[in-house]
Amino acid sequence: MDPEAARTARESLDLAFHMSNVLDAGLDRHTLSVLIALCDLGLNPEALAAVVKELRREPSSSSPKLETLSSVP
Amino acid sequence: MEGVDHKVTDLVKELVLRLQSNSEPTQNTNPPPDFQKSLRYALRILSSRMSPSIAADSAAMAESIKRHLATQGKSSEALTFADLYSKFASKTGPGSINNKWAVLYLLKVISEDRRNLKNNQSDSRVSSGFFTSSTTPGGLPALFDAKSNDVSSNSRVLRSRESVEKGWSNGVLSVSKDPKNIRELAFKKFVDLLKEENEVSEEVLVRDVLYACQGIDGKYVKFDKNVDGYVLNDSIKVPRATRIMVRKLCELGLLFRKVKGYISESMDRFPAEDVGTVGQAFCAALQDELSEYYKLLAVLESQSVNPIPSFSESGSSGNYLSLRRLSVWFAEPMVKMRLMAVLVDKCRVLRGGAMAGAIHLHAQHGDPLVHEFMKRLLRRVCSPLFEMVRSWVLEGELEDIFAEFFILAQPVKVESLWREGYRLHAGMLPSFISQSLAQRILRTGKSINFLRVCCEDRGWADAAMEAAAAAGMTTGRGGLGYGETDALETLVMEAAKRIDKHLLDVMYKQYKFKEHCLAIKRYLLLGQGDFVQYLMDIVGPELSEPANTISSFKLAGLLESAVRSSNAQYDDRDVLDRLRVKMMPHGTGDRGWDVFSLDYDARVPLDTVFTESVMARYLRIFNFLWKLRRVEHALIGAWKAMKPNCIASLSFTKLQGAVKLQLLSTLRRCQVLWDEMNHFVSNLQYYIMFEVLEVSWSDFSNEMDVAKDLDDLLAAHQKYLHSIVEKSLLGERSQPLYKTLFVLFDLILRFRSHADRLCEGIYELQARTVGSSLPSQDKTKLGRHLNEKPSEPGSWVSDGRKALTQRASEFLRNMGQDLDAISKEYSSVLEGFISQLPVQQHIDLKFLLFRLDFTEFYSRLHPVVS
Repeated sequence: MDPEAARTARESLDLAFHMSNVLDAGLDRHTLSVLIALCDLGLNPEALAAVVKELRREPSSSSPKLETLSSVP
Repeated sequence: MEGVDHKVTDLVKELVLRLQSNSEPTQNTNPPPDFQKSLRYALRILSSRMSPSIAADSAAMAESIKRHLATQGKSSEALTFADLYSKFASKTGPGSINNKWAVLYLLKVISEDRRNLKNNQSDSRVSSGFFTSSTTPGGLPALFDAKSNDVSSNSRVLRSRESVEKGWSNGVLSVSKDPKNIRELAFKKFVDLLKEENEVSEEVLVRDVLYACQGIDGKYVKFDKNVDGYVLNDSIKVPRATRIMVRKLCELGLLFRKVKGYISESMDRFPAEDVGTVGQAFCAALQDELSEYYKLLAVLESQSVNPIPSFSESGSSGNYLSLRRLSVWFAEPMVKMRLMAVLVDKCRVLRGGAMAGAIHLHAQHGDPLVHEFMKRLLRRVCSPLFEMVRSWVLEGELEDIFAEFFILAQPVKVESLWREGYRLHAGMLPSFISQSLAQRILRTGKSINFLRVCCEDRGWADAAMEAAAAAGMTTGRGGLGYGETDALETLVMEAAKRIDKHLLDVMYKQYKFKEHCLAIKRYLLLGQGDFVQYLMDIVGPELSEPANTISSFKLAGLLESAVRSSNAQYDDRDVLDRLRVKMMPHGTGDRGWDVFSLDYDARVPLDTVFTESVMARYLRIFNFLWKLRRVEHALIGAWKAMKPNCIASLSFTKLQGAVKLQLLSTLRRCQVLWDEMNHFVSNLQYYIMFEVLEVSWSDFSNEMDVAKDLDDLLAAHQKYLHSIVEKSLLGERSQPLYKTLFVLFDLILRFRSHADRLCEGIYELQARTVGSSLPSQDKTKLGRHLNEKPSEPGSWVSDGRKALTQRASEFLRNMGQDLDAISKEYSSVLEGFISQLPVQQHIDLKFLLFRLDFTEFYSRLHPVVS
């Protein structure tokens, strides 16, 4: 990547990070960068958000969830 | 593709790792035991929903986030977010995020989920796997969460509906997922409501209104005489707003009806010659404007066929016509029609120039639309008027069948053509032609007619053509219009200048106006002294007879001989031909002196100046001057008799002392009285001849030289006569003085007769005395002389010297008494006359006073009591 593009990417990430802070999304920079990359690749943001929500939950509640969900097709 | 998938998987792995490590910070860095499970779960979630359910609009998304923040009361954060977003969105090119919308959406959902999670820790069931229906979690989380507590399908429906509604209020469009079609329902209800309220559809109303605006009653909209307008029938059920709108639009119809009514009325009246050319032009101009209006109506009618789209349809189906659109279309025609209706009302009773003037007053308007419109109208309306002006000014023709022009012609005799033949009719004078311009127009046309009729001159046509060329237009029709008042003025001024000059040239050169004036002055005003003297000498004895015995033929012959024997014979034959004797109408007891006068025959065209009344004034002045001359003549005659001769002087030596003294004193008294009278008469004569007549004449002469047209000339001549009359005590103000003067004249004439008698008596006496003392040869001569003159035949000769002396003294005494009487009377009257002079208004009479009383002899005799 040329320095121009790198700079743009960095600035974009900064802005997105600021926005997520404003919105109180609770994401750190690295996670956000991964998520942005996934969005850019064309994944459904709703799905990604769902993933984030699910995987952020308490591990205690996640296990029974996983149990129930695994039965769902 | 596989590379991408691979990448995706890697990234997902990374994500899961991070998230798990985040949520479990106390964990060690080893991947947690259920990493694979989480990964599988994540992948499943990701694969279950491949496409988003909302439209990819990053700006809308940003907006909704902002609003979200604002409603939560975090307005400063909303501003910050807006700022960030704008910067974020401006990042383009390599290295930037392509799918900005996705990022925003992601952030939004995550933050909401977090919030929901925070708010609803216990309510984990809500966020169980029912994701399919939670498409757009909307703006009121508190409300939403507090409400739904059960997980039944009802809540799903509720949520979906609410989300639909909330989705609307957020401004985010939801294309599908609207099973109940609420919007459509609402509109259908509205259309039904409309149909209920309106008995008549709008299209029908529009068409009716269009008919009304042409003056025709429609199906529902009819003309109502009580209200004086087109109204919708009350029985028809339409909402009040529609009714009012229809009424407003139909005002146009009412105005149209008024204007059309006027036009057709005028057209009908025309054969009765009640409507003039100006009225016709006005109707024609109105009809032109109406044709423009018809064109508009035709276009609108074609449009009114298109159906008005109801609310449920989208887009417009062609150019339809609703009542509202109609009101927009009618705005301009309404203004014009209102103007026309106002003008029609104003001009219903007016005609000709008055109509043009009234319309002109309305044209003084600031609005350019109105101004243009009125100008167009006025141009048409005033063209007949301007045409009339042009033909009047250039040709003297007055073609005015309908009496619309402001110049009226009256059939009069030739000599009063100038003064009374034409006059201005102020009622028909339009307001854009000023009074002075109108006067000039009148004078120019009058001059042309005068030249043509009275002077029989053809040269004015050249002058008119020159004038037209100078003003830049031909003598043909057209070329002048309203708004070109300047052009009209130039034309009139050029024409006036040339024609006036031509007229004066004709008067002076062809008709020798100046010469005739001078001739009148010399003959009627007794300027030609030698002629007057001869005339008086010859005619005098004739005139002493009673008036009814005098024949005017004889007098005419005497006049002729007087002319021949004086310098007047060298005058122009034409002038002498016009001089005549005139005998005024006389009663019994009048002497010739009272009825004799001279007359000057001024023929056409000069009799415009020397009219009957003017000649009468001249006559009056002539009478006065003639009387004055007569008195002067009498005094001169007395002088001739009184001059010392040898006969009288001889008597001094022969008579006795007492008689001699008496004789001397009588003679002396006579001479003194004569002297006084002569002083008075000669000064008066001098005053009249030089200070009055000559001065007035020189003034008049100067004014004649600078006169620019016949009106000026007439005015100058009037002034000349007036000043003569005033200064020679003939005016009304000097009436008492005039009477006194005539009393004086009478006294002088009486004195003359007395003086004559005295001198005759002395002569007789002398003859007697000489006869008694002269040698015989003289005596015989005298005796023969005496015998031939039997004055008093016997008594003188037969008596002796004593008787003679007695007679003489008696005679002288009588004479003395008479003379005394006359003298007293004379002085008293003269004193009265002189005392009245300073009171006179005219300043020149002071000169007379000065001359008569320059030594203040009279004023000192009888000082005025103040």
